[in-house]
Amino acid sequence: MEQRTESPKEVLLEVKNLKKYFYSKSGFIKSNVQAIKAVDDVSFTIYKGETFGLVGESGCGKSTTGRTIIRLYDVTDGDVIFDGANLSQMTQSQIRPYRKRIQMIFQDPYASLNARMTVGDIIGESLDIHHLAKGKERQEIIWNLLERVGLSKEHANRYPHEFSGGQRQRIGIARSLAVNPDFIICDEPISALDVSIQAQVVNMLQDLQKEMGLTYLFIAHDLSMVKHISDRIGVMYLGKLVEVASSDELYDNPKHPYTQALLSAIPIPDPDVAKNSHRIVLEGDVPSPMNPPSGCRFRTRCRYAMDICSKVEPVLVEIEPGHFSACHLNKNSEGVSFQETVQND
Amino acid sequence: MADTTIKKELWERIPQDNKDAEVISRPSMTYWQDAWRRLKRNKISMLGLAFIVFMVLFALVGPTLAGHDYSTQDLTLSNIPPRFEIYQIDADTFVYVHSEYKLIDVLEDGTLIGRIKEVQNNLNDKNRVYDIDGNEVFLDYKYAAIKDSSEADAGIKFKLFVNGTEVQPYKTVWNKGHLFGTDNMGRDVLARVMYGARISLSIALIATLVNFFIGVLYGGISGYIGGRIGNTMMRIVDIITAIPLMLYVILLTVIIGTGFKSIVIALGSVYWVNMARIVRGQVLSLKEQEFVLAAKTLGAKTSRIMLRHLIPNVMGPIIVSMTMMIPSAIFTEAFLSFIGLGVNPPMASWGTLANDALSGIRTYPYQLFFPSLAISLTMLAFNFFSDGLQNALDPKMRK
Repeated sequence: MEQRTESPKEVLLEVKNLKKYFYSKSGFIKSNVQAIKAVDDVSFTIYKGETFGLVGESGCGKSTTGRTIIRLYDVTDGDVIFDGANLSQMTQSQIRPYRKRIQMIFQDPYASLNARMTVGDIIGESLDIHHLAKGKERQEIIWNLLERVGLSKEHANRYPHEFSGGQRQRIGIARSLAVNPDFIICDEPISALDVSIQAQVVNMLQDLQKEMGLTYLFIAHDLSMVKHISDRIGVMYLGKLVEVASSDELYDNPKHPYTQALLSAIPIPDPDVAKNSHRIVLEGDVPSPMNPPSGCRFRTRCRYAMDICSKVEPVLVEIEPGHFSACHLNKNSEGVSFQETVQND
Repeated sequence: MADTTIKKELWERIPQDNKDAEVISRPSMTYWQDAWRRLKRNKISMLGLAFIVFMVLFALVGPTLAGHDYSTQDLTLSNIPPRFEIYQIDADTFVYVHSEYKLIDVLEDGTLIGRIKEVQNNLNDKNRVYDIDGNEVFLDYKYAAIKDSSEADAGIKFKLFVNGTEVQPYKTVWNKGHLFGTDNMGRDVLARVMYGARISLSIALIATLVNFFIGVLYGGISGYIGGRIGNTMMRIVDIITAIPLMLYVILLTVIIGTGFKSIVIALGSVYWVNMARIVRGQVLSLKEQEFVLAAKTLGAKTSRIMLRHLIPNVMGPIIVSMTMMIPSAIFTEAFLSFIGLGVNPPMASWGTLANDALSGIRTYPYQLFFPSLAISLTMLAFNFFSDGLQNALDPKMRK
């Protein structure tokens, strides 16, 4: 097995049984409350200094997971333990000191910057909020950050609309770095950018990680980019985590049928290899999170679906050291399903 | 064949300086500078703006330049139009025959001197006899009452005789002392229109500012909190909209009496609902934007998010709606004054001026014309201006 998963590492963030339900109300007199289970019982651990990738289709709850961790949304149930402190039950004022340590980079570089503020004020906002620096010192910090993300200090007095998408995303990164955080949630930071700019931003994120010792939760749907940047990857489907493994392991040896289908969809840049590769095409659409299928949520689109899949919900179990999967198919060396061993306990 | 070989040095790669790629050559422009640049290109809306500036100056400095006070009465010189015919009595004596069939002494250039006292007033025969500098002047106005006569057909209402011979109008002159004429109390109409502009514009301005603060605060809070509280707040708005403004004003005037204050209170307490709706709608869509989420992750408090992030971004629609609210406030004020619920005399707003003039509309149409013109032109100017402003502030128009 890979060594990095075996060496003892310091846990920075632990997400335990995290649930986030949104409620939609319909009806005026007799209100009909329906729960949309955007994130349903998700658990994972992120170690200090690593990059944890979170992948999945649109609407599977990746972004909601990120936003719930940083408490943009209230937690329905479960715990978010950051460096020993449980963020999930804190009030907004209790959580304020942790805002300096956890930051977020957003998906849309056009919507994530306030068009009425200068770039300098956008980057310096956290310094003002937390009263970290004033006057000349504040300006020095802003100039430093701008140069750090490859812009120049003259840009501080300009407005966001004067910048290109890639430049704007770098301004967003500079803003999140201003408080000197330990942990950054990257919510699809590159999916709105041109391919040529994507690499630039990802490389910058990696350089910053090395320089500042950052830990990332990298949310994306572009698998090849996630493989490039992540140490470990979690695959989500319909609010559930279906597989977690180190990135090499996940790519070489995917255990869950959904992961296999996802990986087969990555375009291969070599036509000869592509001709021989088999693409697993998933039938149908993602079911509504308001009314998910019974048992395994993936069974409606899974080509290996069995009887048990509709009855028993598979849980995430460690099938190999550091490799977790939630599927009835996964069997140990004795041919017994991992699900049985766990659920009999 | 010519020598087509290209020298090797020409293929040398130009060193790419990374810094150059990040340089922005366009001059830095704030949102407002950009909007002003676009507004300046719109001729009609700039014309509207120029007229608004003129109207504000007209209201502010006009009354001091007019030379008349808005409330000083001179009953001897009442109801004199801005332009009238004068008759020559002798070399340098001219008179104007007032529409009440009285003679008024004027100079040749149209300056009014005063009423001439008659020697004889024969009410039964409908004539008056005057003695002007020794000339016997006879004003016969019986023709106004005779229906079937050649004079009535020709529109002649009176005849003026000097020493027994009929005189014809000498010429038509502008009223020098009162450019817009005088009203039924002999007050200068120009001074009153200027003073009315003060009242009308300040009511519009105060009402709009009150609406701005209440509407932005209410709509902002309702939109930002959202959910049940936000919905309840908007239902209250619906209830306020459902009560007719007129009923509201009448009830208010019962309690606090008619006047400037009650109009401001009435307009201020009702008009904000539109503003609240606009702001709520905008805030509802903006609060889900990532820059607001970013501010939250930075630890910004609600007040900071509202003041620094949400309201500056809604400022465009707010200002457009404010400039649209001003003409409608002017009109509502004029309307309320017109039906007698407005400011009290001798204070004058455009609406009360129009109301006062209504009784004499057939004989003295100019008294209605000037305040109405002021109302219409001001509303038109504000509408043109707000129209241009809307285009200038609309981000979709941005090239």
